[in-house]
Amino acid sequence: MKKLFAVALGILTAIGGFVDIGDLVTNAVVGSRFGLGLAWVVLVGVVGICVYAQMSGRVAAVSGRATFEIIRERLGPRAGLANLAASFLINLLTVTAEIGGVALALQLATSVDPMWWIPVAAFGVWIVIWRARFDLLENVTGLLGLTLIVFAVALFMLSPDWGSLADQALRPGPPADEPVATYWFYAIALFGAAMTPYEVFFFSSGAIEEKWTEKDLAKSRLNVLVGFPLGGLLSIAIAGCAAVVLLPASIDVTSLSQVVLPVAEAGGKVALSFAIVGILAATFGAALETTLSSGYTLAQYFGWSWGKFRRPARAARFHLAMIVCILVAVAILATGVDPILVTEYSVVFSAVALPLTYLPILIIANDREYMGDKVNGRGMNLVGTIYLVIILVAATAAIPLLIVTGAGA
Amino acid sequence: MILSDLLGSDALEADGRRVGGVVDVRLEISGAPAQLLAETVVTGVLVSPRSRVSTWGYERRGENGPVVIARLQRWLHRGSFLVSWDDVELVDEGRVVFRDGYERHDPMLPPAPKT
Amino acid sequence: MNDESAQRMPRPDPRAPRGRVLDAHLHLLDRQVLDRDGTPVTTIDDLELDGIELGARIEPGSPAPSVAAILTGPQLLMRIFGGHAPAARRISIPWKLVASVGTTVRLGVGADSLDASWVERWVSRHIIGRIPGGRHDPE
Repeated sequence: MKKLFAVALGILTAIGGFVDIGDLVTNAVVGSRFGLGLAWVVLVGVVGICVYAQMSGRVAAVSGRATFEIIRERLGPRAGLANLAASFLINLLTVTAEIGGVALALQLATSVDPMWWIPVAAFGVWIVIWRARFDLLENVTGLLGLTLIVFAVALFMLSPDWGSLADQALRPGPPADEPVATYWFYAIALFGAAMTPYEVFFFSSGAIEEKWTEKDLAKSRLNVLVGFPLGGLLSIAIAGCAAVVLLPASIDVTSLSQVVLPVAEAGGKVALSFAIVGILAATFGAALETTLSSGYTLAQYFGWSWGKFRRPARAARFHLAMIVCILVAVAILATGVDPILVTEYSVVFSAVALPLTYLPILIIANDREYMGDKVNGRGMNLVGTIYLVIILVAATAAIPLLIVTGAGA
Repeated sequence: MILSDLLGSDALEADGRRVGGVVDVRLEISGAPAQLLAETVVTGVLVSPRSRVSTWGYERRGENGPVVIARLQRWLHRGSFLVSWDDVELVDEGRVVFRDGYERHDPMLPPAPKT
Repeated sequence: MNDESAQRMPRPDPRAPRGRVLDAHLHLLDRQVLDRDGTPVTTIDDLELDGIELGARIEPGSPAPSVAAILTGPQLLMRIFGGHAPAARRISIPWKLVASVGTTVRLGVGADSLDASWVERWVSRHIIGRIPGGRHDPE
């Protein structure tokens, strides 16, 4: 149990990146349309986020500086502000989606209209951020989020034709009835979700919250190597379930109830309740992750006092910023907008935020004044540089593809 | 004066020929001892012939990684040099003028202690 | 008197520094300022240099300029959008309060004694401190 808690930060961070409300639905959509034909993207994304989360965690542990501090330091105020604006909008849209997602998950559990649950969910997120210790928050949501493994179990219980699933995964490419642009739009959406910048903001700031030092580098590596592959596994399992049940039935996924349909078919009510608990924990965890990330990025750019290890009155602007974020999210949801749609447009901002986040991390991870002898090795630099190129290509292609495909419609 | 007003200025020789942009100001914590830290004095200006935007310091430090960025930066700032403050004749809005017969020094920083 | 004699000493070769050498933009700008207890105060949005007169010829042997203050507040907007903030509206932290320079700049005083943290104090006192639980450690 103690071992599990030691990697809670990695698990929670990965849940926010791979199986938050937007990703839950996107994964099921992808599975129902392309089978496992995009599973390779998740693998590419897992490796990329492992490389950069590990770098950001190492920088935080060795130098004590969280990711947005070094973004501001290396990029200066202008490019730093461009990144701040893009990252902050991603955070805000995701907070909105997750609070809506918690309400949708509660609707699945209780059949009460989500509009009633939105204020409850928002208050819940705030009170946890306001009062709960950081380790409590990550342990509870990380552990409960693990119940999403029920999707992987369900995939086995459905006893699918493994040969054809493997065939889909190993021979990637768009199916005959789908346009090429749509395939690549979803490829970039999945890649962007896997490498979404708030993961490194949260992970590196979490390392500071937990007061990691050079002694904790092994712990940081373990968090990365357990958390993100687990997130990727859950993501593929959800797509796999959809590929087995929803693809042959030509069901278009538009809602959360369709995402959990395969689980209910495989394991009945018990499995379904596990899935609902998992979704609730994952969306709530992602809401915490993105709300905190909004506070972290703003505070670190401007040099404000931040951190949950301080009492709120000693990190006043940090807490005020998060309260404002939650209020804005509730206001957006009150207009009746579909929270799942909200996240689709964050891919636009990712195009700006991704390169401007990962470039400074790569540079600082090589700086001896920050890192002493714990700088990147050659292999790490090579992989990091390759990923920077992939990120740049994905970022440039994202917006044209979004427009051409009408957000994957 | 404000540091950022100095950064990006044209670096000129006494006869008005432009030799580059001022990308940074070299300091030394070595002046008169104060209460906490010795006084921090300006000892020179750094000039890059083809750029006026300061960088990540690859051309003045021994850092070599990641290779692609380090090479690109060194190439962009090739021919960078340091001019001692004693060789600065005049500072005006948007320009810094060096004295006649000023010397160009190696811009390399001594390795800083890891803190 | 001590000040002056130290500054008028013949300038050593730049290759043989007498103290820690650093570059203002590379090592100071946009870095985090921490107070005596390690609490973040601000970032270094700009620096004020003393001893440079615009447009005036510098006599050989004049004392070198020195760093006078860390600037913050409106100076950040000037760096982003250009222009000049009126000197009266600048928020500065005197450089003589700096205790050490590393990847962050550490002050020798507490944040609460500085003008630079008045917004933080105001928000703390009037908003965050008034919400129940705002003055307690998380549980």
